[in-house]
Amino acid sequence: MNHRLNDVLFNVAEETLEKLAFMFVSREYDREDIDYDSIVAASISFSGPFSGNLVLTISTNCVPELSANMLGVEEDETTPDQQDDALKETLNVICGNILPAIAGKKAVFNITAPFIVNGMEDIKKAVEKVDGKGPASVVRMEMDGEQCDIFLYIDGEIPEDFFND
Amino acid sequence: MALNVLIVDDSGVMRAMIKKTMLMSGLPLGEVYQAGNGKDGLEILNQNWIDLVVVDINMPVMNGEEMLSQMRENPGTKDIPVVVISTEGSQTRIERLIKKGASFIQKPFSPELIRDIVKEITGIGGDDEPPVK
Repeated sequence: MNHRLNDVLFNVAEETLEKLAFMFVSREYDREDIDYDSIVAASISFSGPFSGNLVLTISTNCVPELSANMLGVEEDETTPDQQDDALKETLNVICGNILPAIAGKKAVFNITAPFIVNGMEDIKKAVEKVDGKGPASVVRMEMDGEQCDIFLYIDGEIPEDFFND
Repeated sequence: MALNVLIVDDSGVMRAMIKKTMLMSGLPLGEVYQAGNGKDGLEILNQNWIDLVVVDINMPVMNGEEMLSQMRENPGTKDIPVVVISTEGSQTRIERLIKKGASFIQKPFSPELIRDIVKEITGIGGDDEPPVK
């Protein structure tokens, strides 16, 4: 796994969560896998100079705050649909910003609509990629005492310029 | 003068965020209409007086670029200012939108950036500081 790719993914996720939802994260380098018992996940796919997908897993306790901060309301005023929508939009923004950071600003990608992954088994499948190919990058973060991980899967080659800059 | 605004984005949370951000920026908002895709957005445009359109790109049914193209082909809507607020990071696509007369803001955005762009293209501005209530 490439450290530069991890750093770029973390920077994009950090900026997005801060600007979009006023949520502040810190990076966890040595933590084990996220606790699958109490998380929700969202996934998004992309195609272009390379294809792949991005999966965001987050402790369920964080999601009401995420959506409330985005909407500017109290946590108990948000609906489950709004919470799902907030999570999907957060992932969408991270995806839209990470791709040009890797492939350059001239690269054109098509991004599908993000979707929620429910249930521990389906989430595990989404982040473990049953085809046996591991993620190109994983970033583990802590957010208000809760966990948030992002997995980037890439099919194809990352432009060499990314590693040379 | 209050701005009648149409916000087109398939995310209801993002539409609410954009509306909230415009209010926080002190922009004088009149009616705020909302649509979840470009097709619904065009219908609202045809039925209402709209001063400013804020539109996402990636949406189901009709995307924002197609909506912008149809607006520019219609004499009734071709001169309405459009701000594209999107996750789009490709300079190639952004330049295409700018050539069609749209301004572009990448998500995530700041209230100040929205205020400044709207002031620039409409000539109607918000205060430098949000109103104290």
